[in-house]
Amino acid sequence: MAQDKLLKIHNLHKSYGDLEIFKGLTLSMDRGDRLVIIGPSGGGKSTLLRIVMGLEDIVGGDIYMDGKPYILRDGAKTKIDRKLQARVGMVFQHYTLFPHLDILRNLTLAPVKTRGMSRAEAEEKAMGLLTRFGLDAKARAYPSQLSGGQKQRVAIARALMLDPDLLLFDEVTSALDPELVAEVEAVMMELAEAGMPMMIVTHDMHFARNIASRVVFAAGGVVVEDGPPEQVLDAPQVARTREFVERVFAKKR
Amino acid sequence: MMHFDPMVPFKYWDALLIGLWMSLRLTLICLALGIALGFLTSQARRSRFMPLRALATFYVELFRGTPVLIQLFWIFYCLPLLLGFEPGNFASAVVALTLYAGAITSETFRASLKSIPREQYDTCRALGITGMSLALWVVLPQALLRAIPTLLSNAVALFKESALISAVGMADLMFIGSSISNRTGRPVEMLTAIAVIYFAVAFPLTRIVGRVEARILRRLAV
Repeated sequence: MAQDKLLKIHNLHKSYGDLEIFKGLTLSMDRGDRLVIIGPSGGGKSTLLRIVMGLEDIVGGDIYMDGKPYILRDGAKTKIDRKLQARVGMVFQHYTLFPHLDILRNLTLAPVKTRGMSRAEAEEKAMGLLTRFGLDAKARAYPSQLSGGQKQRVAIARALMLDPDLLLFDEVTSALDPELVAEVEAVMMELAEAGMPMMIVTHDMHFARNIASRVVFAAGGVVVEDGPPEQVLDAPQVARTREFVERVFAKKR
Repeated sequence: MMHFDPMVPFKYWDALLIGLWMSLRLTLICLALGIALGFLTSQARRSRFMPLRALATFYVELFRGTPVLIQLFWIFYCLPLLLGFEPGNFASAVVALTLYAGAITSETFRASLKSIPREQYDTCRALGITGMSLALWVVLPQALLRAIPTLLSNAVALFKESALISAVGMADLMFIGSSISNRTGRPVEMLTAIAVIYFAVAFPLTRIVGRVEARILRRLAV
């Protein structure tokens, strides 16, 4: 089924108590897509990624991956297909490396303990990724000995160990000192060029323009505008998007 | 009035050494058993099974809320009645101090389990690390690491509390020291000597606690 979308989110509803986050959000993504999601803070951008990762219950709607049901609302319960979940990876704002393990073990833990990969094979693969990201010298260091930028690159490498078909980035540079942002964004650009499908939440509009194949402006619980970065960031069609983009770019200057 | 003779305790160094060995042995045994009991209790207190949770909580609160001396006497006099046979002084002392150590240690583990950030669990779910793998490779090592400084402090506390077993006639450092002081009529010299010995063991341990704590905090500052 080549025409099936990599990801299809249909009529998503989500709320925390009385607070409605999504009111029927619909969004789909092709294999070659790098989606950057922008929108007002508190608008649920991170929640959307957490839902796609399978970390949150939903109130209604459904999500398909390659045409197969991935996350559904079934009666009072959220049903998540664990096999499909395993094909999604996520990088978090605060790196969340395992502090008790060295960098190499941070990378090999999941493949060895849950995917049945041999230690030797996992270590070889991990060293390959660390070398690619310029971190091979840190293989035996502990997370606390690394800079924020290095930690975040390790977190990306750790997610790549499981060969995800979709990688989610939740404000991965927000916690970094400004001078460390570039090294993380460079790694993401490299992945983009290698064709990795990504869904990215970021406040960095400049980076969004560079990496996105599509920009999605989400506000008020729905997708307001969805299109190539030249459209959404430079010539938005919807008044609400225009207002948001102008405000964000005005703040930068 | 007698003059202070600092040489008195040295005449009895071999007896004091035997007493110290008893104190150390009891502390180490009860510490090891208490850590195991404490970990199990901390898990029981998180159990979904209400009666188990209630039992564990009752146990912890009882032993944290009553004087150790009373716990000791109670176990020495009541354990034989409950069991129907005399378990022996050493066994009774081990049971009593282990129950005490287990109660304080379970609180240590409870706090360290709570201090593992929620994001660690999210990350594990994103990486497919769940169930036993999550508990064994991520939660337990971090809980233990975070618990180490407090466990060491507990060890020092337990070593000092172990002096109470002299009250039920166990021949530990305190008991032997005070027996000698009674017999020789030299309480000042003997009690000073005992205090110095307890201090000589406990002080380096408390210093180690500080060092280890600093190192672990640095490691966990991610």
